[in-house]
Parts: sequence; C-alpha cells; structure tokens
Amino acid sequence: MRRPRLVSGVAMGVLVAILFLLPVLYVVMLAFETPAHFLNSPLTPGTPAVSNFSGAWNGADLGVELLNTVLYSVVASAASTLLGLLIAFPIARRLIRGHSALYTTLFIGLFLPFSVIPLFAEARMLHLYNNRPGYILLHVEPGLPLAVMLLVALISSIPAELDEAAWMEGAGYLSYLVRVVVPLTRPALIIAFLYGLLGVWNDIIGPVVLLSDPSLFPVTRGIYNFFGSNESEWTLLAAGIVIASLPVVALFAASQRQIIRASLAGALKG
Amino acid sequence: MTQALQAATPSRADGRPRQPRTRGWRGPRRGPQLLSRGSRVTMWAGLLIALAVYVLFGLVPMAGNVIISFTNYTALPSAPVNNVGFSNYTSMFTSQAPGFDQAIVATGVFVVAVTIGQNALALLLAHKLQRPGRAAAIGRVLVFLPIALGVTVVGLTWILIFNPQEGPAASLLSAFGVHSAFFGSASWAMPLVIFVQIWQNAGFSTLVFIGGLRSIDPQVYEAADIDGVGAWRRLRRITFPLLAPALTANTLFAVVGAFTTYNLIYVLTDGQYGTQTLGMLAFNEAFGSFQANLGYGAAVSVFLFAATLVVALPLMALLRYRERRLFS
Repeated sequence: MRRPRLVSGVAMGVLVAILFLLPVLYVVMLAFETPAHFLNSPLTPGTPAVSNFSGAWNGADLGVELLNTVLYSVVASAASTLLGLLIAFPIARRLIRGHSALYTTLFIGLFLPFSVIPLFAEARMLHLYNNRPGYILLHVEPGLPLAVMLLVALISSIPAELDEAAWMEGAGYLSYLVRVVVPLTRPALIIAFLYGLLGVWNDIIGPVVLLSDPSLFPVTRGIYNFFGSNESEWTLLAAGIVIASLPVVALFAASQRQIIRASLAGALKG
Repeated sequence: MTQALQAATPSRADGRPRQPRTRGWRGPRRGPQLLSRGSRVTMWAGLLIALAVYVLFGLVPMAGNVIISFTNYTALPSAPVNNVGFSNYTSMFTSQAPGFDQAIVATGVFVVAVTIGQNALALLLAHKLQRPGRAAAIGRVLVFLPIALGVTVVGLTWILIFNPQEGPAASLLSAFGVHSAFFGSASWAMPLVIFVQIWQNAGFSTLVFIGGLRSIDPQVYEAADIDGVGAWRRLRRITFPLLAPALTANTLFAVVGAFTTYNLIYVLTDGQYGTQTLGMLAFNEAFGSFQANLGYGAAVSVFLFAATLVVALPLMALLRYRERRLFS
C-alpha cells in the first residue's frame, strides 16, 4: 500500500513540474540568454545577461503600458467591487421590493458573454472609445455580478440586528456601510477585487477593439504588438513576457492562499 | 467565465437538492423604515447608479447584438446604417460569406476535445493534489498559475516553446524526425490550440474537483476498507459517483468556455490554419484587417449564443438526471 502510493505521488510531482513549471522556467531562462548563445545552444542556460530586459523595456514601451494596466485594472475593479456592495446590501437585507428578482438578474450576468461588437458600437456612440475614462467605465461591468453574489452571501451571515441598532441611533447609510459593513465583508471584497483585477489586467480583446492610440495601450496589447514587430528575436520577447507578467505573478504569490481557498470554498458550496 | 462558474456551481457537492445561496429569502422585508429619509435616498441613488452600469454595459450589449445583426453596420462614419432584415443570417448558410461551415466544424472539434481533455487532466491532477501537505499545496498553486498569468502571457509563452526554428519542442521532436511549423501548420495548429486552452483552464477545473473530493465523507472510505474493497473498485464505485456534482459543474464550465472564448485563439493563431471557431469568426469579421462587417459578425455571435444554449441546456439536464439516478 505504502510504496505504490509514494511512487505515484512522485510521478504526479514530475508531471505537474514538467507540464506547469517547465514552460514558465524556460521563458525565464530565455529572458536571461544572449541571442548568440541562444542560437548556438537553445536548450541550455548560458551566463545570465540582462540586456534583453532593457531592450524589451524600451522597445515595447513597457513602463507606460504597465502604468496604464495598473490604472485600468485597479480603478475598474475597485469600482465594480464598490458598486457591487451598493447593490448587494439592499438585496441581502431585503430593503427593496423585488430584491429576489434583482438577485436573479445579477446572477444571469455571470453567464453573459462579453459582447464585444455592441460594446464597441456603444463606446463609439457614448464617446468612450479610445480614452482612459471610457476604457475604465467599459471594464466595470464584467466584475459586478460576481461581486454582488459574494457580498450578498456574506452580508446575509451578518446579524441584521446590527444595522437596525445602528440606524435607530441615527447612523447614515453610507457611513454605516463604510464603518461596519466594509470591515465585516473584507474577505468577499478582497476576492471580488482580485478576480476583477485579474480580468481587466489580462484582457486582450478589449484593448484591441476599444483603443487605437498606442500611448493608451495596456501591457497585454503592448506585448502582443511587440511580438508582431520583433519576430524571431526570441530572447527579447521572453524578457518582455517576464516583465509584463512579473506584477501579476507577485500579486498572485501574495494572495494565492485567499484565491485558492475562495475557489475551493465556492466549489464546495456550489 | 472562470469566476462565473465558480460562484454558480449548479448543484451541491453532497448531492442534496440545491438550496438558495442566501438564508432568509422568504419572509417580509424589514428595516427600510428604520432608515432616515436622507439615508433611503442615498441607498437608492447608489443602487441605481450601480444598476445603470450593469444595464448599460451588461444587458444592453446583449440586446444590441441582436439589433446590430439585422443591420449592415460598419462603424465607418461615411457609411449609412440600414436595416437589412435577415440577410446576415441567410448569408451564413448560403456560402455567400466564406468560412462559416469550417467555423462550425472547428468549433465542434474544439469544444469536444477541450471538454474531454480538460476534465480528464483535472481529474488526474485533483486526485493527487487534494492531499494535505506542502507538496500538494505548491502543486495547486502551480496549476492555478496560468489563470493568473492570463491568455496573452500564456499564449506567447507557448509560441516561444513551439518556435519552429530553435524552440525546445522543435528540438525535441526533430529527434523523432518530426518537423513542423506548429502554430503555422494546418495539421498542428488546432491540436496545439486545444492543448493550450486546456493548460490555461485546467487549474480551475482541478480546484472544483478537489472541492468535490473533499466533500466526500471519509467514513464511506473507512467502511469500504473494512469490507476489503480494492483500490480500483473504490475509485469506480465510490469516488467517481460521488464526484458527479463536480463533474457536472466542470463539464458545463468547459463546454461554455470552449464555445464562447476566442481570446487565446486570437493570441495563438488569430484563427488561421483551421483554428477559426465561431467566436473567432465573429471577431475577425467585425474587427479583422480589411473587414468591418459588424452586422454579420453580430449575426454570427447571436448564432453562437443560440448554439451554446442548445448544447449546454440539454447537457445540464442530462448531467443533473445522471446525478439524481446515482444518488437515489
């Protein structure tokens, strides 16, 4: 019993490492190669060189694009988390008529496909095309349904006596939300924010359709275009990938515990 | 999509009928009269602003797709927008517009292969990574990493690995006498696109399966041990049936995802070399180089949406039926 289990465990470790770790390590290795060494022996690491990183940083304009990406994803995701709270609280506390129908409407939103053609048409009509505020506004909605679902579930577990007591003493709605509800729903707020952030950060179709000015491009489109214009400069491209994904890997490393626990809990609850 | 199914896993892991996700749905409303008049105004203002965003950029685009599909909209300022009736739909089926038949075939192949592959890989991974301990925890983080990296970085990473000249895959395969342009080859592009799609999303399916495995009562296994049930029968007779709800969720997740997403295909091949699924076709008709057939693209999107429902809804009913039979 003991030994086959150990063997299969090791086999699985090797499989996961080859399938999920090796591709990532290969790109990192490539990023530190000189083009000359790469052409001679493409599969082995050489003496690490950092010239690719400066080349990619300048060539792909990664500084500006990373700033754009951070701006878009943080603001849009913060907005959808906040707006999610403004919808979730009245639903969870049944403060409005039709709270149940409203919940269902938001639930359907989880399954709506990203309708890029009408969004493009709307963006043109409402002057949201090719500008930063417009791009951010168009990216608020995708995170909203999940934020509402997570927050309704958590708010429902907070005793309603708490808000009744506060309101009898004359606490305002917004200050109550900020002082009492936000601290109590922090886990759901963080998960909704992180998922929303990843969605906006990793979007590639949005930047292709909704932006045309290169100075507005986020890093996904920047690195995609960089690939198109530097074909077969593989070490440079690898460095670009590493730079572009470093912030999101750092964020994931810092929050993986919450993200994975939340995903597992969601799967369990069903 | 990932988030969507995570919060909406359609049935309980323990097989009991689904409960409303929140407590206290039924029963009278209470509380609003406790709020001051000013607070009630604030509440409604916040609610309406948030709902306006949802309606304007979530629900309106859905209806907008249908409306645009009946026009010849091109987004060119000079071109007038006319109602063209059903002509966008009829041209799909009358070979006036090329690529539609191939797109249906490509979508079918893509959906079937991704659904089977993603679930098989995730099941294998979940079986090992459900264990407690550090190694399994690291494994769970690794398989989830592609979701954090996103389609652009994932797609470009695999393009580097399948670089036809010096890439590691080319070197490895040339030892077996295999030479190919990979993502630029009609025979390799589709299998590779399917593989990367599975690689990208397997981590999420794995977590759903782990959730399902952990919800199985350990006493069931203890009882099986006492009765001397072998490992294979344990897997076939206990684990797999009790995993049915997770399998339902993951199957639907993979089917709907494979039908509707095309962002990874856009990065990998832009729909060339036989990888143009319906979603990719709609996008390329609308926004591809030298194309501006937004009306036709919208019609393809509407067709795709209908096709997704036609496949996913009966599939969901079937999987649920299977769950009920297994548990009763």
